[in-house]
Amino acid sequence: MSVLSFIRRGAAVLAASLALGGAALAQTGPLVSTEWLEKNLSDPKVRIVEVSVEPGIYERGHIPGAQNIAWHTDLVETVSRDIARPEKFQALARKLGVDKDVTVVLYGDNNNWFAAWGAWVFDIYGLRDNVKLLDGGRKKWELEKRPVATNPVPVKASSFTVGEPNKALRARLTDVVASVEKKSDARILDIRSPDEFSGKIIAPAGFQELALRAGHIPGSVNVPWARAVNQADGTLKSPEELKKLYAEVGIDGSKPVITSCRIGERSSHTWFILSRVLGYQAANYDGSWTEYGNVVGLPISNPAGTVWGGK
Amino acid sequence: MSISDDSGALDYELARRQAGAEPIRLPPLRFIVAAVVAAAIAVSIYLVGRHGDPAPQLQLSLILGAAFGFVLQRARFCFFCIWKDWLDRRDPRGLLGILTALVVGLAGYTLIYGAWLPDPTGARLPPTAHIGPVGPALLLAGLAFGAGMAISGSCISAHLYRLGEGSPTAPFALIGAGLGFILGFLSWNELYLLTISDSPVLWLPRQLGYGGALVAGLAVLGATAWCLLRAGRSSDQEASQKVQTDPVATIFLRRWPSWLGGLFVGLIGVAAYLRLSPLGVTAELGSRSRQLATGLDWLPARLEGLDSFRGCATLIRETLLTPNGLFIAGLVAAAFAAALAAGEFKPRRPTGGHVLRGLVGGVLLGWGTVFGLGCTVGTLLSGISAGAVSGWVFGMGLIAGTTVTLKLGRRLRLLD
Repeated sequence: MSVLSFIRRGAAVLAASLALGGAALAQTGPLVSTEWLEKNLSDPKVRIVEVSVEPGIYERGHIPGAQNIAWHTDLVETVSRDIARPEKFQALARKLGVDKDVTVVLYGDNNNWFAAWGAWVFDIYGLRDNVKLLDGGRKKWELEKRPVATNPVPVKASSFTVGEPNKALRARLTDVVASVEKKSDARILDIRSPDEFSGKIIAPAGFQELALRAGHIPGSVNVPWARAVNQADGTLKSPEELKKLYAEVGIDGSKPVITSCRIGERSSHTWFILSRVLGYQAANYDGSWTEYGNVVGLPISNPAGTVWGGK
Repeated sequence: MSISDDSGALDYELARRQAGAEPIRLPPLRFIVAAVVAAAIAVSIYLVGRHGDPAPQLQLSLILGAAFGFVLQRARFCFFCIWKDWLDRRDPRGLLGILTALVVGLAGYTLIYGAWLPDPTGARLPPTAHIGPVGPALLLAGLAFGAGMAISGSCISAHLYRLGEGSPTAPFALIGAGLGFILGFLSWNELYLLTISDSPVLWLPRQLGYGGALVAGLAVLGATAWCLLRAGRSSDQEASQKVQTDPVATIFLRRWPSWLGGLFVGLIGVAAYLRLSPLGVTAELGSRSRQLATGLDWLPARLEGLDSFRGCATLIRETLLTPNGLFIAGLVAAAFAAALAAGEFKPRRPTGGHVLRGLVGGVLLGWGTVFGLGCTVGTLLSGISAGAVSGWVFGMGLIAGTTVTLKLGRRLRLLD
């Protein structure tokens, strides 16, 4: 290679990396667009991770260069039903090449439910502002006929060190009970369907009844998660619309919010909106209705009066 | 009289005859019907692609189903007949066809695994691959399925393509299989708690690595082929036949050699796994039977653990069109078209024997499929291709069940 061509190539590489680095830095919000992501697919400082729930969907075609997280095994403790322990999360993050200095883009099927759950776990372990959701997730990427790939791309492991879990992001049963008993000023936002909220049904169609009581946590308000989403392409509504949507039920960021659903994964979608998009103080209650709905004798609101097993 | 462009059609025909040419004949009716069926399949593929939801999956299911049905019929790829050829005449060709399918499947799956799950040593299994629990229930399933094959004369996939040939037994075997499914669901909870819940799910690449599992699988298949070739008798009849070189006749009229059928079966299996889900022919039958029995309130409210296993899933689907439903529809329709074209569509009025053997054998096939989590296609072919121990164990049960039932049935003069 001649000296001249070497210099020319070096300059081109430098210019390209500056341009890409600039683009990555320019993406400061909690969401990235499909367009931005496609332009930054080869940026070494961008890690794309799919968190889908349908088995085989990642393997049969994913955003080029994306890696895979299996929600139900990688991010949880399967036996004790807890979020992944710090050591397990650290090992996963290192394997994915994730660290505080790379932009992590999470996306998935089902309107990013599980990707949002991933963002919540990442946040608990100290990865917050550099972790983003792909707005519209898999749905929008496919609708726009953008390319998918199946070949694995080798990733250099990182030396990420896990931080102390940020407990403020995770609501436990005691936090919820404190809110019910008015010992804290946290508001509970239940994002299940109106029929689950009213107690007409205990679980959505097609799911086992994993709680024995019907209804909702007293004092909680109901905004089904899907109302925050543009149905056409799965993107989130604008921050102004979202602010208005939650203000209608009295959630305006002036008081801390606890998001809750059935098992805590749809509610992380709403948690992401409140915490990351609107900047409210929000915690996700991953015990959700399968925990609260099963605790003997805790106060309950059951407008429909459904009783499990009774005929 | 000369033949010219302005001669009338009758003059033209007359002149041809005078010139000693054969009179023009329309192709036989069966070709016309076969062409119509083929066109109907093509139109269905187009319509499913336009209106299906999700269109790409449903459309590809129909296409692969049609391809599978065509191949099964052309090669007459029937696991039981192949085994009987070996038992009665020591003819190894059919078995070599099955081995070919397994070799192609094993190599193809390994190729895909390398991309989907580069490291097989962790706790994860490759998505959707048919890797089932290995235990006494699986062996029992193989035995029952094998007995069902011997009694009804085929396995489920072969009954499906034979439906397209007008077989008098196939419809009753499939009805029997539906009943067998329901009996299987009814006995599921007991057997699950007794043994299946403790049965390990064994995947060879986890222990041996991809290379090791592939080499081990190929070695076993290769050794089996070598034994078959040594112990088998080659049929001289075939060799003395005049070799037909007309490609149209070779494809559409003459029976394909088994190895060619096996090659295509293996390739279709790999294609199905890559793009849709592992090949299987019982999911639709199973889930419709379950839907029916659930609707009639026959089944327990919960079938413990059944839906958490890999294999031909019998989850009830609410939609009319399902991928496996279209796969089966394509299979039967293409087998019908292929049988028509080859002159092998020979419907017969079923006798009492056909009905009885179909129903009894079918019940065993259905019961075996529930506990085997699939049949000769879903568990044997897709399982062995996937590196699952369950595929091999089911296969061993199958061979034992068929052989014993056939020999016993012949001794009692119940089977021929």
